[in-house]
Amino acid sequence: MTDNKTPLIRVENLTKKFSTTTALDNISNNIYNGEVVVVIGPSGSGKSTFLRCLNLLEVPTDGRIYFEGTDITDPHNNINKHRQKMGMVFQQFNLFPHMTILRNLTIGPMKLLKKSKEEAEKKALELLDRVGLADRAGSYPNQLSGGQKQRVAIVRALCMEPDVMLFDEPTSALDPEMVGEVLDVMKMLAKNNMTMVVVTHEMGFAREVGSRVIFMEKGKIIEENEPKEFFENPKSERLKNFLNVVL
Amino acid sequence: MLDTIYKILAFFTSDATADRWFEQIYDNFIKDDRWTWLMKGLWVTIRLTFFAFIFGFLLGLIIAIIRVSHDKRVVMPRQSFLQRLGGIILSILNTICKIYLNIIQGTPTIVQIMIIYFVILASSTNKIGVAILGFTINSSAYVAEIIRGGINGVDQGQMEAGRSLGFGYIPTMIFIIIPQALKSALPALCNELVVLLKETSVASMVALQDLLAAAMLIRGRTANAFLPLIAAAIIYFVIVSILRAISARLERRLNSGDR
Repeated sequence: MTDNKTPLIRVENLTKKFSTTTALDNISNNIYNGEVVVVIGPSGSGKSTFLRCLNLLEVPTDGRIYFEGTDITDPHNNINKHRQKMGMVFQQFNLFPHMTILRNLTIGPMKLLKKSKEEAEKKALELLDRVGLADRAGSYPNQLSGGQKQRVAIVRALCMEPDVMLFDEPTSALDPEMVGEVLDVMKMLAKNNMTMVVVTHEMGFAREVGSRVIFMEKGKIIEENEPKEFFENPKSERLKNFLNVVL
Repeated sequence: MLDTIYKILAFFTSDATADRWFEQIYDNFIKDDRWTWLMKGLWVTIRLTFFAFIFGFLLGLIIAIIRVSHDKRVVMPRQSFLQRLGGIILSILNTICKIYLNIIQGTPTIVQIMIIYFVILASSTNKIGVAILGFTINSSAYVAEIIRGGINGVDQGQMEAGRSLGFGYIPTMIFIIIPQALKSALPALCNELVVLLKETSVASMVALQDLLAAAMLIRGRTANAFLPLIAAAIIYFVIVSILRAISARLERRLNSGDR
């Protein structure tokens, strides 16, 4: 459906205003197949809003977002169908607490992709095994540690066989010793050529895994580049300042 | 049986007092099998409570979903015709629900029951049907607010997680939000059931032969108010206690899953 020339996600003149503030100010950007785009920036820069606009969890005030060639901001297109192809991982995990891990993973494929129970569970257990949690299939989310929950949340999104994965500060709510296990899963995804958009404060991850890094401030994209140049040779004064503070 | 009652009474009091009490108990409950009146009345009370609660719950659930859907609706800058139409219909339904809730919660139960019985459905001969309708309407208003509180208490991230998987608004509500909302609303819902059971005694005012009416009927025959009313009170109390015990168990079982 998409080759490497046409972008998987095309963002045109995206603007998001909240009642008193402008969170996103006329942003345009393309995300291509197989890219790992890391979005960084100070808090309140609009990076999370940008990510949440990509699958319309946040409704843009203005602008267009094309996903696989379809304008998903067009109200005549069924956003639910497109969201099935865009996996999302949240800061707060948002697992369904009233369901077992296995049910968390299979409810989407069964109800939305019309997979059989056996098929959905086979796939879920296979993926769960790959993140080292096969033995927790029967547990409830509250019986898991933060890092385990987030790994399950990633698997939940993967079970829908998405074309792109969106990560909204996936490690920010974790205890420091659990950050690594989640980043490892994300690195594994990147290695398998999953297209990813990651909002994070993990500069190490951006440098090591990102194919492109975007720096946002005050609702605008200030600078973007491949990671080596981005970190070693920042152009704008504001990025230099930001990197000085966080690195 | 009668012998045992007499012996127990005689054990605690003098023979003369025991005789007097025995006579009264005999008059109020045993003569003409009057205790079966109470049982029949109890059966009416239970049926009335059960159906009014089930229907009131369903109606309340629908009202709660309409209210929450309206309050949390995100208005898109660009809308299709159907979305715009849906928004208008939702606004109208929401307004109707709000007025309904205000009226039902702002008037006494007994007045509502009497209006339905003597005014709106005065021609109906199905007394229990009318009473079920009346208490359904009354209970739905309280259930709606309980469930609405439950839904609002579910973390916003749950809706987002459901939607991000590709579930529509209504499937997310059904599979993800409502089960969690009902779980947290369970204690309040059980309490509403208990309140409803006690409130149904109001139905005796519209000549429905419920438990209280049966006690009053006995009182009319024996000119003794104490024993039949105490008997009715004890029966209500026992039923309420059973309901409370069941709800406590249910709560414990539901909570054991995720702690």
